[in-house]
Amino acid sequence: MVGYLLGGWVWLCLVTFAGGCLLRAFKYATAPVHLRWDLYPVAHEPGRDHGGSYFEQLEWWTKKREKDHLAEIFAMAAEILLLKGVWENNRRLWWASFPFHWGLYLLVGTTLGLMAVMVGLGSPFVTVVLTAGGVIGGGLTCLGALALLVMRSTDQKLRLYTTPLDRANLLVLVLFGGLTVAIAVGFPGMNDVPAGLVSLLSFGGATIPAVWALQIAVGALFLFYLPLTRMVHFFAKYFTYHQVRWDDQPIEENPKMASRLQAALAFGVDWSADHVGGGRTWGEVATTIPGMEEGE
Amino acid sequence: MMEGPRIQTREEMSSFLTENEGVDVNRLVPLPFPYEDWQDEPIPRLTDSQLERIVPGPDGIAAAQIPVPESDEERDRVVASFLEGLRKLLTKENNWTFLQPFILSLENCVKCQTCADACPIYTGSGEMEVYRPTFRAEILRKIVDRYIKPGGSIFPKLRGNDIELDWDVVVRLAELSYRCTLCRRCAQTCPVGVDNALITREIRKLFSQELGIAMPELHEKGTVKQLTVGSSTGLNPAGLADIMEFAEEDIQEKAGLNIPMPMDVEGAEYLVMHNAGEFLSWPENLQAFAIILEAAGIKWTLSSELLGYDSVNYGLFYDDVQYSRVALKHYEVAKNLGVKKMLVGECGHAHKALMPIADRLIPEELRVRTESCLVLLEDLVVNEKLLLDPSRNDFPVTLHDPCNITRSMGIVQPERNILKKIAPRFREMEPHGVHNYCCGGGSGFAICSSLNFSQWRTRVAGRLKFRQILEAFADEIGPGTKKYLCAPCSNCKGQMRDLINYYEAWDRCGILYGGLVELIVNAMVDVREGFIEWEMH
Ligand code: SF4
Ligand code: SF4
Repeated sequence: MVGYLLGGWVWLCLVTFAGGCLLRAFKYATAPVHLRWDLYPVAHEPGRDHGGSYFEQLEWWTKKREKDHLAEIFAMAAEILLLKGVWENNRRLWWASFPFHWGLYLLVGTTLGLMAVMVGLGSPFVTVVLTAGGVIGGGLTCLGALALLVMRSTDQKLRLYTTPLDRANLLVLVLFGGLTVAIAVGFPGMNDVPAGLVSLLSFGGATIPAVWALQIAVGALFLFYLPLTRMVHFFAKYFTYHQVRWDDQPIEENPKMASRLQAALAFGVDWSADHVGGGRTWGEVATTIPGMEEGE
Repeated sequence: MMEGPRIQTREEMSSFLTENEGVDVNRLVPLPFPYEDWQDEPIPRLTDSQLERIVPGPDGIAAAQIPVPESDEERDRVVASFLEGLRKLLTKENNWTFLQPFILSLENCVKCQTCADACPIYTGSGEMEVYRPTFRAEILRKIVDRYIKPGGSIFPKLRGNDIELDWDVVVRLAELSYRCTLCRRCAQTCPVGVDNALITREIRKLFSQELGIAMPELHEKGTVKQLTVGSSTGLNPAGLADIMEFAEEDIQEKAGLNIPMPMDVEGAEYLVMHNAGEFLSWPENLQAFAIILEAAGIKWTLSSELLGYDSVNYGLFYDDVQYSRVALKHYEVAKNLGVKKMLVGECGHAHKALMPIADRLIPEELRVRTESCLVLLEDLVVNEKLLLDPSRNDFPVTLHDPCNITRSMGIVQPERNILKKIAPRFREMEPHGVHNYCCGGGSGFAICSSLNFSQWRTRVAGRLKFRQILEAFADEIGPGTKKYLCAPCSNCKGQMRDLINYYEAWDRCGILYGGLVELIVNAMVDVREGFIEWEMH
């Protein structure tokens, strides 16, 4: 019975996680084209080392635009893998945040590895790697979350902006990380784990030990609420960087964007301040001034 | 020395918004030699009669000049309008212009406070909590979560939405949106890519577009005046003609050159767009441009059309509608004149307003190519199209980077290449380029001096910049050595003037400020020596 309930809970959480993330990503991706708001340095610009842009060139519009995609990838990789920005600007936090993030990366990797084993791609080597992933990933997550919890509770600057739910979230991760270590150590070689997971997800009725059941339930809970939180920054960051900070594409290079902008000018505006003169389209509002003759 | 931040609990965050606490000048960041013993004058509180009319911010400063409500109904109306505006801010119809960056920033801050130390106002003030980059954003976030999103009142404390929205909170948030220069230095350090400057601008926008509340210097005396009279300075075409006549005489007298100021020349290579503030406060800048363009044999013109002679667009700082109206007019003027290109003069926000931001707004039929003056000047100086004698500029020079030109546009190297060529004693400030500190006059602050705002602007907003200037000149800081602070932006120059005056830096350190073209002309061999007049003005 517990196995069925747990299986149902896991499925519910997985669906909520996937659906929630998709919905948020969809919201960001389908927002209208915005006016430019680039912020330098822009990673793909050839002048990035000094923060330069193509505007530094005489008659910039006649020059071939050089965009270094590889440099963008490196910049993103340094952010994601090394937390470069935090290292440079908030070193104290980095010591907690870096292990915490790496713990989560390793746990994601371990989960993907387990899925591979579930579909029959296992080998003794994979088992060793997964065990190490579980121990190190769980350990780093647990310790990192604990360190963040302590910092968020003791550092006045952080404390003011930390909510009770933020603390609860970190506690969930401390617990999940700790339990993951216990399972990776307690199930040597993690041999039973893939089979157990298959049974759980297919409602096969296998008995799952209590510690493991708790770990799964807590992990699923985390996934359940994640899309409702700012932790979606793991994908939101794609938009903040690529579609805002680094989005320096001139309009004429993107005819599609031009037509989307055209559509935006037909949106109705109903701002109430007198000077806006709402109740008209954007195009009309921008080209006329209330109280003055049209086109005056 | 600085104390730690004074608020310790979440509950006090809301109280910070509702209780007045003035700036304690003793907590401001200390200044280096020769200012170790500098005693700042306290920032005056609003007088009783001012307080009868105007609501100050939680720090006792007033920029937006929000009127005291006459009745409880009026208070309630303000709160209701604010919420209505907030809803509109989150719709694509009303806010397509910045909806995506806005919601991204609103929903993804992890509250790591990495941005805090980057902010010159927060750090310069001695870490006053209400100036923290996330403070305004966090208040807005709480209001959105509690009052706009469904289910917001369920367990508000647990979720951190513990804010009770009332008139005090609303008006103080409005006022606090004018304690950030929108310099975006905080955004640069944010690992998630959140932009608190953008959120601040959205708050300003909400108040302007929904409630008609904005800093008067930006709105009534800014964009409204510009759209009706032609310039936010109040300058009309007749006044412009007088100024041009004076400029021609002045060039003759000072530089020994006979240069006409070309007006409305159809089909010219460049329509030069100046901030009209230059004409009135720093006419030498306009004159220097004329001397350089003539010497280089460029066919250029100015415009006498309404808005054509003033490149400012204060809408950039607070209102998308006003911004769009001004930007469209600017391009219309250039198009009608049939010029090949527009050249943006030494004005940072005009660069940003006319180039990257306008890029997605100007319809194809109005599009005119637009270029930064810094890039053209670099070509003329570095490729030796002007005859220059750098020894004429044999004095210490440092460069202030206007945020809008560097951080928001990536024009960093041309001005340095020029200075390296014409100023043998050029030295950088630290940090510089895209990592510079704002002068403290950004986002319209430089033009606001009403009530106690200019006192705040010089003591708090410009504090770190002034420290940087002193550090850049530390090796020759005595008043005996005249030094040149190059600020290629009208608004920055306004702030530099006020900083130098308040800190008595001309008398104490011999620091003078000015633009970049003045330095170039000062080194031109065809121009009579001494174009830069070493007098504080
Ligand atoms: S804005 Fe960015 S740097 Fe600042 S607290 Fe939020 S996530 Fe951290
Ligand atoms: S934009 Fe500049 S002034 Fe405003 S909060 Fe950020 S760093 Fe501070």
